[in-house]
Amino acid sequence: MNNGAGRRINGGAEEDDDEDDVNGDLDAWERTYTDERSWESLQEDESGMLRPIDNQALYHSQYRRRLRSLSSTAARIQKGLIRYLYIVIDLSRAASEMDFRPSRIAVIAKHVETFIREFFYQNPLSQVGIVTIKDGVAHCLTDIGGSPESHINALMKKLECSGDSSLQNALDLVDGYLNQIPSYGHREVLILYSALSTCDPGDIMDTIQKCRKSKIRCSVIGLAAEMFICKHLCQETGGTYSVALDESHFKELILEHAPPPPAIAEFAVANLINMGFPQRAAEGSISICSCHKEAKVGAGYTCPRCKARACELPTECCVCGLTLVSSPHLARSYHHLFPIAPFDEVTSSHLNNPNCKLQRNCFGCQQSLLDPGNKPGPAVVCPKCKRYFCLDCDIYIHESLHNCPGCDSLRHS
Amino acid sequence: MPQVKIIAKNFMDMVASLPAIKLDLLYRNQFICEAILRSLPPLAKKYVLQMLYIDIPITSKSLQEWLLADGSSKHKVAIDRLIQLRVFEVIDRKKETTYKLNSTFQTNLRKHMISGGILPREPMPQSVTARLPTSEELDSYAHGQWECFLLQLISSGQAEKSTSFSSSMMRIFQRGLLRQRDKEAPRLTESGFQFLLMDTNAQLWYIIREYISNSEEQGVDQADLIAFLLELSFHTPGEAYSLDTLTDDQTTMIKDLADLGLVKLQKGRKESWFIPTKLATNLSVSLTDSSSRKQGFVVVETNFRMYAYSSSKLHCEILRLFARVEYQLPNLIVGAITKESLYNAFENGITAEQIVTFLQQNAHPRVAEKIPSVPENVTDQIRLWETDLNRVEMTPAHFYDEFPSRDVFEAASDFARMHNGLLWEDAKKMRMVVKAEIHMLMREHLRGQNK
Amino acid sequence: MASAPSKLYADDVSLVVVLLDTNPFFWSSSSLSFSQFLSHVLAFLNAILTLNQLNQVVVIATGYNSCDYVFDSSSDLNRSFENGRMPVMCSSLLQKLEEFLIKDEQLSKEEPEGKIKSSLFSGSLSMALCCILSGVLMRHYFFDRVFRSGALHPHPRGSPDGPEQYVAIMNAIFSAQRSSVPIDSCYLGSQNSAFLQQASYITGGVHHKPQNLDGLFQYLMTIFATDLHSRSFIHLPKPVGVDFRASCFCHKSTIDMGYICSVCLSIFCKHHKKCSTCGSVFGQAQSEAASASDKKRKTPET
Repeated sequence: MNNGAGRRINGGAEEDDDEDDVNGDLDAWERTYTDERSWESLQEDESGMLRPIDNQALYHSQYRRRLRSLSSTAARIQKGLIRYLYIVIDLSRAASEMDFRPSRIAVIAKHVETFIREFFYQNPLSQVGIVTIKDGVAHCLTDIGGSPESHINALMKKLECSGDSSLQNALDLVDGYLNQIPSYGHREVLILYSALSTCDPGDIMDTIQKCRKSKIRCSVIGLAAEMFICKHLCQETGGTYSVALDESHFKELILEHAPPPPAIAEFAVANLINMGFPQRAAEGSISICSCHKEAKVGAGYTCPRCKARACELPTECCVCGLTLVSSPHLARSYHHLFPIAPFDEVTSSHLNNPNCKLQRNCFGCQQSLLDPGNKPGPAVVCPKCKRYFCLDCDIYIHESLHNCPGCDSLRHS
Repeated sequence: MPQVKIIAKNFMDMVASLPAIKLDLLYRNQFICEAILRSLPPLAKKYVLQMLYIDIPITSKSLQEWLLADGSSKHKVAIDRLIQLRVFEVIDRKKETTYKLNSTFQTNLRKHMISGGILPREPMPQSVTARLPTSEELDSYAHGQWECFLLQLISSGQAEKSTSFSSSMMRIFQRGLLRQRDKEAPRLTESGFQFLLMDTNAQLWYIIREYISNSEEQGVDQADLIAFLLELSFHTPGEAYSLDTLTDDQTTMIKDLADLGLVKLQKGRKESWFIPTKLATNLSVSLTDSSSRKQGFVVVETNFRMYAYSSSKLHCEILRLFARVEYQLPNLIVGAITKESLYNAFENGITAEQIVTFLQQNAHPRVAEKIPSVPENVTDQIRLWETDLNRVEMTPAHFYDEFPSRDVFEAASDFARMHNGLLWEDAKKMRMVVKAEIHMLMREHLRGQNK
Repeated sequence: MASAPSKLYADDVSLVVVLLDTNPFFWSSSSLSFSQFLSHVLAFLNAILTLNQLNQVVVIATGYNSCDYVFDSSSDLNRSFENGRMPVMCSSLLQKLEEFLIKDEQLSKEEPEGKIKSSLFSGSLSMALCCILSGVLMRHYFFDRVFRSGALHPHPRGSPDGPEQYVAIMNAIFSAQRSSVPIDSCYLGSQNSAFLQQASYITGGVHHKPQNLDGLFQYLMTIFATDLHSRSFIHLPKPVGVDFRASCFCHKSTIDMGYICSVCLSIFCKHHKKCSTCGSVFGQAQSEAASASDKKRKTPET
């Protein structure tokens, strides 16, 4: 992991070629090890035995640095939780290049699939649409909607690449669509751009200004090299621009767009939305569903306002137009609102302090916080409840659980 | 391919093969009930639990109702096993089959559930035993002991210290694994090599099985031995248990078990005690579970080089069976898989498949995560070299020529073809090769023609 | 070499974390006494440990004021023998449970009597997940995927779920879902628990409400002792209608229709001018939109 980061620092787009040349001289088996440098993680101990270096501490310190940088900026920031995102995929000639294996477009398709799933997992109330650029024309592949499967299926069927790419056509098309969405939604475009040029019918600068006025946040991930026009577009509209070095980097970059971005006040008007929380009917009950207009056996959801039956959540009631969600959908986003404070590191003097001697075990998993040698090992402490945690729990609590077990197991007044 | 016959792969198969009276006697022991329960397939366990507090017989139909459609094969396996072990008693009423739990088994298990697991014997207090080995020390002791035993088994000369097994016992263990020709040093047989490539649990099984099946000769009752071994598996590893609590038979057994690394014997000022190791407590576990599986240590690269992180002499010996060991650091063995080394292995009866599985099973954790853990070109090449050897197929045959006439020749070749025995023919020169099996028939046929 | 048959049985290894509700407010009003309940549960724990040598049981007590570990079958403490004949497991569990209850009671005295009578389910659930996930990974089990963590919590309450724990519980449930840890729940109270229903539904666990509490052991054995592997071929109770209603942030009452802040997704039962969670002001545009949707709504009705 650290090696990857190191390469990224010194590896600009122009260095890619050099690296290829270097790799060209190597045998196939040698090439698999150039990335890993696994021999560097071995060291010799007193008796001549070879031991792997324990890089867990290193990994954890990196994680903590990331956590701190996130929390410092994220303090009390509003997030755009209701997002309307268009994914623009460049299907021009350039996308069939083979510098990514097996081809750029195959890599894009693979990771767009994971991205869409992750996106809906993290933003259950948001919607996605897909636009493709081919032969200089932008084409709307799927309408904006909330079902990940339909997007993925549609995309997998249309992966042929040809012709030129036109950024302006794509932006015009998306701008037209996004102008129709409700004012409280956050408008976003994510462009996966393979070409090194754009072949436009008019002045693209005008289109960029139009997007800016429509408050569309445009982000671009390039697969070839950095382009001025993309950078300019992102700067103007408040998006991010990045260029992928390799497949894993591309995956990392695209997944960075899954968590909701910080909301910018003027981008979307705060609003109260009327929503219904339908109950799930028992398994085996029969009723006519309003979305497919047919009788269905099995679980369904009943609109609380008009009692119509819907098959899936979230959706809009076909009869009365009420947005139907389940409370878990909403709850999935709450950890963005109530983040838990990063834990402080425990200095070893702390653990020796007789007052704190009681906490020898991690509060979360009961693992001993002591080293094999009975010396205090690395630990962290929650600033609120003062419980001690081991490093594994620390990562788990902040990355996945979003609850502090210590604070939750004490009753607050 | 000749194989080590591992008929009773685990204890329970062995228990199941005991006569019914002995089985019922065994169930009086609570530990055996528990061990039997643990050895059952998951579904059978569920059935037993389900019926634990039901005193009337249950029809097989009502048991099956609990299953989803695709579980019927599992149901059959479970029921067969339960009946085989006499945990279920079958009561055939007219038409319907009903089952009932073995009553001794049931009462014992109920007792166990309500009052919790009772330890077979109490460990000795800390005050007497002073410092006991840590679990790491105990593990390394157990593995050391086991490897020492294995080394002695395969080549008596190499072991640093000899075990107390009588040479007759050792010979029993070696039977099937080693072959001794006159005046030559004993050589491993094919099965011996395969034995070495198995994981520790399987090896242990083989030895314990031999040990048990030969116990009758030593005047020890087989059922007693099984009961004791099972009981041993319920002791807590790392605790000290007094030797005084054992019967005489058991005391002799425990010495043998210490040689295998199942227990560690220690002596205090007055008393002496034994400490079960993980190997012992894994006895009743029928699976090759991960806690007994050692961490992998072999890294194979696409250039056929092999790095094994191990300081074990046994590992080195095993690797030497199919690879050329080039040099050794204190805990690193570096070698290469070559055509010559593999031919050597094939000659000794090791198959390519065995080598590949060994490499895969023992892959170092760093490469074990990768798929495949052993580079494909290496595994393919190993298999190719093996098929290389099998290019020529030998068939015993007879050669016929000098046929008196074309008619006779053609009739003969038709006859051979009819009996599926024609291997080759040359119609111009009237020659043919026929499988040896039909040579007699052929002769009869030709004689008939001649008349 | 055929080692396959012996490997077959390796997939029913479970790590079961049991969350016990020790809320005194509930047990004082329950038809089943706490000691009876414990005897059922202890037998159940015994059974789990008997089923497979590698099975592991962790018990976490969920009190009114605190949560704590009361038993871990893998810890060395429980291995050592303390008092004579009594099975180690029960004695150490009961002893720790008693300590916990006394401590829990002391904590409650410091606070004035409130109306809320729910247990600290979120805390114990978080602890259980920490124990399952980071604990398991750290101890290098190779087969953590087959581990079932049926966090079984006989989770009885007189009052409805504690709405103030809503966010924390949901976070825990999603985390469990992501790591595919099923949460089983066995509910002994008289009302339905929406939290437990949702927890079991979302994570693919089993929710069951025994009808006859005297036979609790049989329920526990039949339903909750099923390992993950066997669940694929055994009939287990199916959910009977899951309550997906949310509780509003302003009054903590359960609603089936309400208003949601577009910025932070907070739920309100009434129309507000300003979001109490994120502080966004709902400007002019919102009233128009609201009235527009009102109009839209009214047309089909009239």
